[in-house]
Formats: sequence, C-alpha cells, structure tokens
Amino acid sequence: MSTTSRFLFASVAAVPAFLAGCATSAGVSQPAGSPVVELRPDERGSVAGTGIESQDMVTVTDKMARSILAIPQIARAPVPPSIVLDPVVNNTRFPINKDIFLTRIRTQLNSKAAGQVSFLDREMMRTLERERELKRSGQVTASADPRASEFGGADYFLTGKLDGMTTRTSAGTSDYVLYSFRLTDARTSRIVWEDTAEIKKQGLEDAAYR
Amino acid sequence: MSIAVACLAGCETLPEETRSRAPAATAADRRVPVPERDRVLYDYRTAATALRAGDYDVAKARLDDAIARIGGIIANDADAARARGLFSAESTKVFIGEPYERVMAYFYRGLLYWRDGERDNARACFRSGQVIDSDPGPKQENYAADYVLLDYLDGLASAKLHADGSDALARARAHAGPRLALPDYDLAANVLVFAEYGYGPRKFAGGQYGEQLRFHVEDSPSRSARLVLAGGRRIVPLPAYDDLGFQATTRGGRVMDHILGNKAQFKAAASVAGDIALAGSVVASDNARRRERRGKDGDDADAAAIGLGILGVLGKVASAATHAEADTRQWDNLPQRLSFAAFTLPPGEHLGRLEFLDREGQVLASRSRPVKFTVAPGERDTVVFLSELLR
Repeated sequence: MSTTSRFLFASVAAVPAFLAGCATSAGVSQPAGSPVVELRPDERGSVAGTGIESQDMVTVTDKMARSILAIPQIARAPVPPSIVLDPVVNNTRFPINKDIFLTRIRTQLNSKAAGQVSFLDREMMRTLERERELKRSGQVTASADPRASEFGGADYFLTGKLDGMTTRTSAGTSDYVLYSFRLTDARTSRIVWEDTAEIKKQGLEDAAYR
Repeated sequence: MSIAVACLAGCETLPEETRSRAPAATAADRRVPVPERDRVLYDYRTAATALRAGDYDVAKARLDDAIARIGGIIANDADAARARGLFSAESTKVFIGEPYERVMAYFYRGLLYWRDGERDNARACFRSGQVIDSDPGPKQENYAADYVLLDYLDGLASAKLHADGSDALARARAHAGPRLALPDYDLAANVLVFAEYGYGPRKFAGGQYGEQLRFHVEDSPSRSARLVLAGGRRIVPLPAYDDLGFQATTRGGRVMDHILGNKAQFKAAASVAGDIALAGSVVASDNARRRERRGKDGDDADAAAIGLGILGVLGKVASAATHAEADTRQWDNLPQRLSFAAFTLPPGEHLGRLEFLDREGQVLASRSRPVKFTVAPGERDTVVFLSELLR
C-alpha cells in the first residue's frame, strides 16, 4: 500500500469516529436522570443556595425547643402554661413559609415535653366560635354547659423574627441570617426567654452564570 | 477528503432558531415537553401570561418553581461546564436569565406576596431583586442596584410593618433623580397599583461569531400612564419609574462574555490555521505532480500534501465545531416600563380607565382600556396589577 493510500485510508477511517462523537446527546446532562434519594431534613443536599433551607430550620427549631424547656417559667410551672404562637416576621431577602418555624417548635415541644406546656389554637378560633354558637343555639348537642366561656387565655406569646445581611462581590455571595425567638409574658409584657441562632453561608456561581 | 468534509457538514449543530426554540407560554402548548434547561424560561413566560390573565395561582406556582432554581448557587454543574467548553454553545446551560429577567421574577412574586397579605415576604423578594441587580462585574466595576421601585417598595413594606423604611425611600429617590418625584409613604393607602407598559428588551447575538450578547430596545410610544377613577374626578398618575431596557443595557460585562470571546478567538485561529494547511496541501500536491512529470519521486511531497490536507480539514472542523454564540434565550413577554401608585379608596367595586400617554403627554386613545377592581375591607392591601401587554 502506497503512502497516499495509507493516508486516505486513515482519513476515511477517522470520519465515522468523528461522526460518532457528533451523534452523542450533546448538551444533555444525566440523560437518564438522577434517581430520587431520601435525605434527612438536617442534611445538606446537592441542591443548595445561600438562603434558608430545611437543615437550617431543623437546627434552629431544635435549639429553640430545648432552650424553652430549660427556663424556670416552663420547667417549674405548677400548672402547664398556655402559649399562643404569633407569626414570625421575615426581615431577610429570602421569601419563606414563615409558619414552618413555629409549627416545628410547637411539635417539638409537644412531643418532647408532653404536659409541660400547652398551646392554644388561635388559627381555629373562627371555627371554634361557630361551633360554640351552634351549641348555644341548640342546633347541635353539647357535653358541657355551652354558655360557659372556656376558651383559654394565653400566658405567653411565642414569636420570632429572621434578620439577614447579604454581601455580594465577584468572589461570591455571602448571606448571614440571624434567627431570634422570644417568649413574652402576656400579663406583664416581660420577655421571659429569648434565644438566637445564626447561620452564615457563602458560595460562588459557575462562571457561565456570572 | 471531500466525503469527509461533506459528512462533517452534517455535524453542524441545529439552526439557531431550532436550538434556541423556547417553550411556548400558552396553556395549549403546555403539552409540549419542556427541556429541563429551558424550564425556568417556561416558568417566566407562563407566569407573566398568567399574571396578566388574572390567574394568580398559576403565576405563583410558576414563579416559585423558577425562584427555587434561580435562588440557589449553581456550582459544579455539568451543563454549565459544558457551556464554557469550546464545542458547546452557551445555550446548553440551564437557563436562569440575565439579571433584569431574574429581578422581574422576584418583582412579580413580590407583588403576589403582597396581594396575599405577606408584606414581609414581598419585601424579601424586592430585596433579592436588589441583590441580583447589584452583581459586581468581572472587573469589579461594582454596579450598584438602581431600580427605583425595588427600594421604594422595600421601604413601603417596612413602613407598613412598623419598621423604618426611610433609608430605602432615600435610596429610591436617589435612583429616581430629580426628574421623578417619588411620593412619601402613605401608610393609610389601601390600594397598591402595579402597572407595566411597552415591550421589554430583546437579546441578539453580535460579533463575527455571535459571541457578543446585545440588547435591542424599541422605545414604546407609551411613555407614561394614568388611572382615571370616579368618572374622571380622580386621576392617579403612573409614571415610568423603571425601564427594563435601561437595566438590560447598563450592567457592564459578564464573565461569560470573556469566555465567549476566547471561544471566538479559537474559532477564528483554527479556521485560519486550516486555511493555511489546506493551501500548503495544494502547493505540496502541485509540487509532487511536477516532480513526477520530471521523472522524480513525488511520494514525499504527496505525503506532505495529504498530511497538510488532513491538518487543514481538522482545523476547519475544529473551527466549525466551536460554538462561540451567546445565549439569546429570553423572557420575551416582559414589559419595558414599570410603575406603581398607592392610594386610598373605600371598600367595594371601582370602575375606571387605564390611559397611556405619549412623549408629549397626550393620551394614546387606542391603547386606553377599562379597569374594574374590588377593594377589600379590612387591613389587607388591595393589589391591582395593570399591564399594557396582553400575554
């Protein structure tokens, strides 16, 4: 075989190999997808940002629930105090489901300190008032005197707020979030307990997005 | 060799129109599967269409889906890495949009939070918009956020939440400059009107290889607007506080622009190298024929001609396979101008007329449209969204 023929043969042989490269699913990442994996809520997943995430919520609410149970007003109360949850105020740059913090603190307290505190369900007030009126009007049966006022009053209000600070430079984005919760005595307006948790995160996006 | 060239021509990527074909926004087109990398684009467009149609639940769902993706930090991403590579176009990365597009996702979500009575979450959205707009450039140019409404609404939400909104108001006034008089916050105002008019900026690819991301802004005749209520007895001005055309064209360069520039340089260099090698191949081949005519051995020259030919073809192939084009996928149903007004109205149904004004302040009669909205009783603000755009 002459040199020319060898070169031609090599060239022709290289074409299918090149074309095979062109025929791949270019631009498709993980074409078969990524199987669902179960993570613990306090575990950082592969999808992350510098904002408020589930692992932060779990960390913060665990800390707050433990902290509340340790205060004398709760631990040594002769009668379990009644607590009303007041919505959290979000002062950060991250839109969040605000109820989730107080809901988790409540469920943590109810499950870990059964009987030490009780929560008043103010979200249900409209429904409860309607039911009471039905009982008072005799439209439905009542197991106790429906004229008595038995809705509980709050001993304490539990609320909180989220404050944030953001820094953004060409080196990346940094977000600091301060979670502060407090328990306020409904009679005296004194703050009987307050605690904070702080989380800072930073990251730099791929150059394709900068 | 000619067969190889013909085959390689088939390797050309899809035409630009097909590659950048983005999902349609209409409900009928929702049956069309949306590529994952265009999902945010689909969310953007669908949300804007739903918002204008008054389908707020759909708008919220789509914006939440988009924000879940654009709100994170995209790092160690295979698609992004590929988009930076020589042989893949920028449009192979997952679309999240340019800053003015991301800001609008947060702006729309913010007004929807406000509509639901969640002023703090609305403010969070406006603050995220400010952070996105303040993105520093690749050379630390330090472009500060300069949307008037993001700061103004941040301050108004704070004031209504019994916090201090004065700093944000001062920033908003600084952005607006002397030509726009931003009103003081009226905490008793129970009606918030968000208005938008004109068509937003359009992306196109400039440069020899389309490596430069550019914007075309066609100035809308609607320079301002006003809401006429109570049979003309009350007129609410809706001046253009923000211009997305201005925002799109004044943000400085991107890091990705440098990468695309490098790709374009490689593409040009590979093409020139291919040309030189192919020319050398022709010369070597000609030399071989001349030597053979003279009865001399032309094999070496033949080999050189073939070698140079292959190198030339490889150079041309590498050049053709290099994708330097900028990503021109775009949120194409954005408005050009944004406006806002807060005022007080009694609860109940209100009828009015939305009028758009030209540069001279004359009413563009053909663009006027009737407006009907209901002011809710109680403490929650009534949010009214008015758009000149139909979808």
